[in-house]
Amino acid sequence: MMHLRRWRVYSTPERILSICFIGLLAYLVVIPLFLMIQETFIVHPLERFQIPGSKVNDFTLAHWYRFFISDSAYTFFYRPLLNTLIISFGLSILALLIGGGLAWLVVRTDLPLKTTISNWAVVPYILPSWTLALAWISLFKNDRIGGEKGIFFALTGVETSDWFAYGLFPITITLALHYFPFAFLLIGGALRNIDAQLEESASLVGAGRLAILRRITIPLILPSIMAAFLLSFARGLGTFGTPAFLGGPVREFVLSTSLYGNLIGQRPGLGYLAALVMILIGMLVLYMDHKMVGARRSFVTVSGKGSRLGLIQLGKWRWITAGLVVLFLLSVIAVPLIALAIDTVMLIPGIYAWDNLTLHYWIGEASYSVGLGTGEAGILKNSKILLALKNTFTLAFVVALVTGLMGVLVGYAIVKKRGTFIAKSLDQLSFLPYLIPSIALGAALLAMFAVPRGPIPSLHGSFLLLVIVCSVSALPYAVKAGISAMRQIGNELEEAAVMVGASWWLRMRKIIVPIQKSTYFAGMLLPFISVTRELSLVILLVTPTNQLATTISLLFTDRGWYPYTNGIVFLLTIVVVGCTILSRRIMGTSLAKGLGG
Amino acid sequence: MPDIVLDNVSKSFTKQTHAVENLSIVIPDGSFTTLLGPSGCGKTTTLRMIAGLDLPTAGEITIGGAVVFSEKSGAFVHPSKRNLGLVFQSYALWPHLTVKENIIFGLEINSVSKNEIRTRLEKVAVALRLDSLLDRYTNELSGGQQQRVAIARVLIMEPSVLLLDEPLSNLDATLRMEMRAELKRLHRETGATIIYVTHDQLEALTMSTHIALLNSGELQQFAAPLDIYEKPINQFAADFLGSPRINLVKATLNRDSLIWNGLKIALPEPVSPNCPNEVLLGLRAEELKLGRAAEKNALAGRILTVLPTGADWFYQVEVSGQVLTIRHNDAVPFVYDDPVYVELNPSSIKVFDDLGKAVL
Repeated sequence: MMHLRRWRVYSTPERILSICFIGLLAYLVVIPLFLMIQETFIVHPLERFQIPGSKVNDFTLAHWYRFFISDSAYTFFYRPLLNTLIISFGLSILALLIGGGLAWLVVRTDLPLKTTISNWAVVPYILPSWTLALAWISLFKNDRIGGEKGIFFALTGVETSDWFAYGLFPITITLALHYFPFAFLLIGGALRNIDAQLEESASLVGAGRLAILRRITIPLILPSIMAAFLLSFARGLGTFGTPAFLGGPVREFVLSTSLYGNLIGQRPGLGYLAALVMILIGMLVLYMDHKMVGARRSFVTVSGKGSRLGLIQLGKWRWITAGLVVLFLLSVIAVPLIALAIDTVMLIPGIYAWDNLTLHYWIGEASYSVGLGTGEAGILKNSKILLALKNTFTLAFVVALVTGLMGVLVGYAIVKKRGTFIAKSLDQLSFLPYLIPSIALGAALLAMFAVPRGPIPSLHGSFLLLVIVCSVSALPYAVKAGISAMRQIGNELEEAAVMVGASWWLRMRKIIVPIQKSTYFAGMLLPFISVTRELSLVILLVTPTNQLATTISLLFTDRGWYPYTNGIVFLLTIVVVGCTILSRRIMGTSLAKGLGG
Repeated sequence: MPDIVLDNVSKSFTKQTHAVENLSIVIPDGSFTTLLGPSGCGKTTTLRMIAGLDLPTAGEITIGGAVVFSEKSGAFVHPSKRNLGLVFQSYALWPHLTVKENIIFGLEINSVSKNEIRTRLEKVAVALRLDSLLDRYTNELSGGQQQRVAIARVLIMEPSVLLLDEPLSNLDATLRMEMRAELKRLHRETGATIIYVTHDQLEALTMSTHIALLNSGELQQFAAPLDIYEKPINQFAADFLGSPRINLVKATLNRDSLIWNGLKIALPEPVSPNCPNEVLLGLRAEELKLGRAAEKNALAGRILTVLPTGADWFYQVEVSGQVLTIRHNDAVPFVYDDPVYVELNPSSIKVFDDLGKAVL
């Protein structure tokens, strides 16, 4: 016989788990946010010369004044804000059109090659978001950034103008091509879930296809459309690589690049302010999503078993449409990769001739006379690059494990304590990182860990800090997977094991995790992939000693050594796509499972 | 002698509402006791408190003389140490394990020897006709087979008490009949105490040795099935048991007689003078008789609806503005609108006061 209190503590660990995780998340997310706000009010070492008569760590309102009111506020804040909003709006609408259109074709018409198209349509999201930016440069480069012109010029002889090659236009296009899978998955899911009887009853009272689409179908999936729009908007807000590559040459800044420039440069106070603004916009957007969509979302899930409404016959357009869709997907997936690959085997960029062909950038020895990259060995022989690649995959692996474990435990705790205040707090806290644009999350953790605080030493430049930032950022997805896994299991399966005396640890190991292993695995695959191609999140936190593949490729870009950048991105892409396919083969896990809103 | 004693057990999930309130009950050893009541009456919560999965907020639970839960002393015995087995409503079979692995899981984690496991597995597999299904996964089984696995998984632990939470609710009607007989056989063969939760009064009546009737977390009546049926302690008990539902009609009570629609019915014994005048009369469908000619204790009525079930004929009869359901089997059935006389048997009537309490 044991005492009641002991049973409560030891046999139902969800309470302790919840409290521990609430503490941990408060420490890793909430406190950094407040510290970041504090940073906008103090004088940093480099800033004491800009603010006359100030000492380091003095209280100041100068950052707020400069950022929002002064003559340079336009350059620092308003112009980047405007650019950010234009790009985010543009990319969201474009992504919605592409993703929604594809979803409708796949779910509602007799389009051939559906499986292939569905599989391919998710790939652009798996690729690093700036792959397309790099490919755009390879294709449409003009002589603005020096060096030879791009492949497009080589093929057509037409030189691209600046607005087409750089700036807001290509940023919007490439980001839309990266984020449209959100719309494809969300809208496709909603279309699939509509009870066919709802449409059939409209059809029975004489509504035509178009009227049904306009009056029944679209209103029913409106919540998903909104969700897809706002999600792309919020993600576009925090992205760094694409605007850096495509905006830099024409000096067009968005909030994320302005944040980076200021924080890394001479004006950390302004950088933190930019981060703050981004977080506010991000929260506002997702709050709107919650307000406008949340309440109405319930009716989408009303799914029935009624017979499927007849697929729309495309007739002679069937194969033509499929051909166009495949062509589109190829041009978003294959063309960029081929363009990148071609650029890595051209000794002198932009000269597309057989005698210019080389493997120098892959396996060449360090050289001061051959090609670009003075003194840099080829990618596969370059110890710096190989170390960065190793760092990337170690980080991705560790983060996948950490978040996978957190997902299992937090999901368990939330579902077990469901309905209580503790569970609600934990749920919302673990969702919080989702609202924070990734580069701003990096800024917040920088504010927290750049200096020693209490017993915790400065973690700046440490591998641990990268693990922390990536884990925190992936947590919402992992927890979502964990919660849905636990919901599906239900209480009784675990209680059946309690009844025969299985300890908590045994129950987790033999019952809960094995039953939901594929869900948990999907919850781990997503962090692995996103860390592998992560740039925005870590760009503020890497130092020369702990470069990742993505950040080191940025260094090469800065020097104009595109073959190295392109080669590294090409490698990452192959690995990421390979992992996705492999996991699908082995575990039957689809990435779509872990994605979604 | 593992009687199960609940002493003033209460359970509340929120501060305002009680799921179970001051429940005191002694479940005799070897009985087939059914916790019966409408959904939300606290029957499953009671079962889970006996199992140890839910903790009461107050009271004490004793199994076979040993205190397994006491709010006062803080005593608590782990669910697995109470020597009882629980079959869940959903069966809770582990989908990643085969039938065999499901059944022997409990023995394995309790480090029972391989030989012992094999012997016991053979025994339950044969008893529950699962021997040919052992290597299947549970999602490859029918509902009835799944249920037998759930029971086998519990029986192999050789519990002295078997707890069953609405085990038949997921089965279709035919299978349900079969499983009722099967469970009765199981009770006879194992000699274990069975505590059975259901909202189906017919299931309770056909299977149990004892019924604990619950409503809104409170015990209404604890007795043998036919005792509750024949002598319900209150209107709720009279209404909940029996199908079709008992007819309840207004009547006036005097010291030694009842007056219903002008019909005077002599009571077997006089009632206490405290009884109210306005009462409800409970008349079961089979306790009323229909006749074509006027009798002494009969009221005139008219046939509203004829409801044959094959074995029985049920009629809805209108008697001075009230509708009564009556079972009547006659060589020549009545038809719609037939004039009839309804006769009642004074010895079987139930009378309830304005609070629903039985008066007689």
